[in-house]
Amino acid sequence: MKRLFTLSLAAAIAAFSACSKKPAGLVFSVGGAPNEVEVWERLVKRFAEEKGVRASLLRQPTDSDQRRQGLLVPLKSGKADPDVFLADIAWLGQFAASGWLEDLAPYAAKDGTDLAPFWPKVIDFADRYDGRLAALPVYVDAGLLYYRTDLLKKYGVKTVPDTWPGLLAASLKMQAGESAAVPGFFGFVWQGAQYEGLVCNFMEFASSGEKALAFRDGAVKLATPENIRALAFMRAAVLKEKISPPNTYTEMKEEETRAFFQEGKAAFERNWPYAWGLHQREDSPVKGKVGIAPLPRFPGGVSVSTLGGWHIAVSRFSDDKAGAWEFVKYVTSPAVQKELALELGWNPGRRDVYRDKDVLKAYPHFARLEKIFANAYPRPNVPYYSQVSAILQRHLNSALSGAAEPEAALKAAEAEVNEAAARYR
Amino acid sequence: MDQRGGVVTGGREAYYFTAPLLLFVFAFIVFPIAGTLFSSFFSDVTFLGRKFVFLANYAHAFSDPGFRQAFGFTLAFIAAAVPLELALGTAFAVILDQALPLRGFWRACVLVPWAIPSAVSARVWELIYNYSYGLANFLALRSGLTAEPVNWTGSAAGAFTALLAADVWKTAPFVALIVLAGLQAVPAELKAQARVDRATTLQVFRLVTLPLLKPVLTVALLFRTIDTLRIFDVVYVLTGGGPGGSTTSVSLYAYKYFAGGDFGYGSAVSMLLFLVSFGLSWLYVRLSRFGGEL
Repeated sequence: MKRLFTLSLAAAIAAFSACSKKPAGLVFSVGGAPNEVEVWERLVKRFAEEKGVRASLLRQPTDSDQRRQGLLVPLKSGKADPDVFLADIAWLGQFAASGWLEDLAPYAAKDGTDLAPFWPKVIDFADRYDGRLAALPVYVDAGLLYYRTDLLKKYGVKTVPDTWPGLLAASLKMQAGESAAVPGFFGFVWQGAQYEGLVCNFMEFASSGEKALAFRDGAVKLATPENIRALAFMRAAVLKEKISPPNTYTEMKEEETRAFFQEGKAAFERNWPYAWGLHQREDSPVKGKVGIAPLPRFPGGVSVSTLGGWHIAVSRFSDDKAGAWEFVKYVTSPAVQKELALELGWNPGRRDVYRDKDVLKAYPHFARLEKIFANAYPRPNVPYYSQVSAILQRHLNSALSGAAEPEAALKAAEAEVNEAAARYR
Repeated sequence: MDQRGGVVTGGREAYYFTAPLLLFVFAFIVFPIAGTLFSSFFSDVTFLGRKFVFLANYAHAFSDPGFRQAFGFTLAFIAAAVPLELALGTAFAVILDQALPLRGFWRACVLVPWAIPSAVSARVWELIYNYSYGLANFLALRSGLTAEPVNWTGSAAGAFTALLAADVWKTAPFVALIVLAGLQAVPAELKAQARVDRATTLQVFRLVTLPLLKPVLTVALLFRTIDTLRIFDVVYVLTGGGPGGSTTSVSLYAYKYFAGGDFGYGSAVSMLLFLVSFGLSWLYVRLSRFGGEL
């Protein structure tokens, strides 16, 4: 009710302001942490000066749900602004299927823009929709395994575990040894709260690439042996083996996990690349004791990193599509991508930046990231993904809490997801 | 002109005077509700377009396990929270109505939780329940009640109780405020009279004060029920609807559908919420014959 009220209010305001003149030129809508928005403000200003056009930034909140809501309203009502915006990879399916995103392929073809330097997998899975080029990657994210180099050495763990059972064994060993000195020490921390991150983690445990959640002819098989094995492992990690803290399924999101590991209270951590810079900060207790590796897999499976990140797209209702395309080119240019990497530690959407000397000097771990990103798999690129995700979150979390058995939870989720898929086909 | 007791009733002037308010009510209450009702009859999904489906969204709601879970939680939460809030609020009000030293100070203290925005107070409660560094675990461990930290929101019952405490703490003062106002309207002579008739303190409260408080309590009951029916922020912040969806409120559920681009179904869910709140309000007013007493 509150939402609709806001919508109607927004509609009323829009109706009243329709007669007034629209603001200056190109409007780029972006949110994020304050330091991120600052960098964007500077980029927009420089773009306007260099190209001699008028451009402004429409500031959005930090919270990604609210950012989505802030785009949903103008796009649903076909507003000319914002012309261009950043969208989370998980929204692209819905936005593209709603016909809100301008096809960038003709622009790229006309300008001879080379798409080869971008991650081909990312472009194919996330940005291409129904043969159109809906967006371009600005920032690529993929799950990583962080580990404590000092602890591995201390407990004689020679190689970083590359299977889930191996990680379990190493965790138990280190936890048994460390618990006396560090109260509340756990082997492995990851994201299990009821939110989007849980679905990302689940795909990684499943070790079966995009097959874990793949839709075929509008239906999905979730209660597969691989998925049941993964969910049973996640649940055992918390409830039985106790290598993950009890609050894994209630509180653990990215920042909670990062803080836990950074305080020196865990041997392994699953997180996105952003945690690296924070773990290595001057005031971090684990500075210089952290390594990164691809996430483990089950024997016979593959290492999976769920693909995340932000993409730049042009609104189909934009009144300055040519200008918007210029801005897209600008943001995805090697120079700006390098700047974003150096300033914010963002993982560029272009592969060539990972081999840049200055970038490698500032972030030596980028060399390893390039390899890990090759294992990145996307979440299903269906327009009703957010409904699918809400169902999955509920049932996966229920299994983690012990309220449902893994197989029963996946069967229930499968039935509901397929019903949703039928509804939205 | 029809005049009764010196008050002008009827006549065109009445409409002129109330027009601004009526306009406001139409623009901000009737229009959005009508709009929601209208869009609830459509399959309005951003990526599928609009199609008139009449009651299909409602039919889907009743077979949707997610909605049923959310609806069940919301009703259970009302049943648990509202009586507690009324009881505690009334108790506070009775205490604050006494001639205590520093009465103004105590009254201000009781009102503090109500004055804090609920998103903020929910964060405070989140810090209390936090597994790693929360106050609750700190106290439990220090006092030796448990050897291991407790995951307070780790079970459906635990999460429900945690939410209940946070919500009652926040809203009992609101009930106290309303009831306090009502208490002060109870004529002192009536109580004195009852005393003369040798009524005990409890009897005075039960037989004189409470019946006179009924209209005020009905208002409190009404406000609290409607408010609890659309509970959102405390759930969003404290449990996120978990574990396993067990504490997802209807508002939180509707919000997720709006975000996913399904405006028709989100509207139907919101409409159901409106109907329940309308129905409960009507019931309360009828049962208390509230209108008659004013």
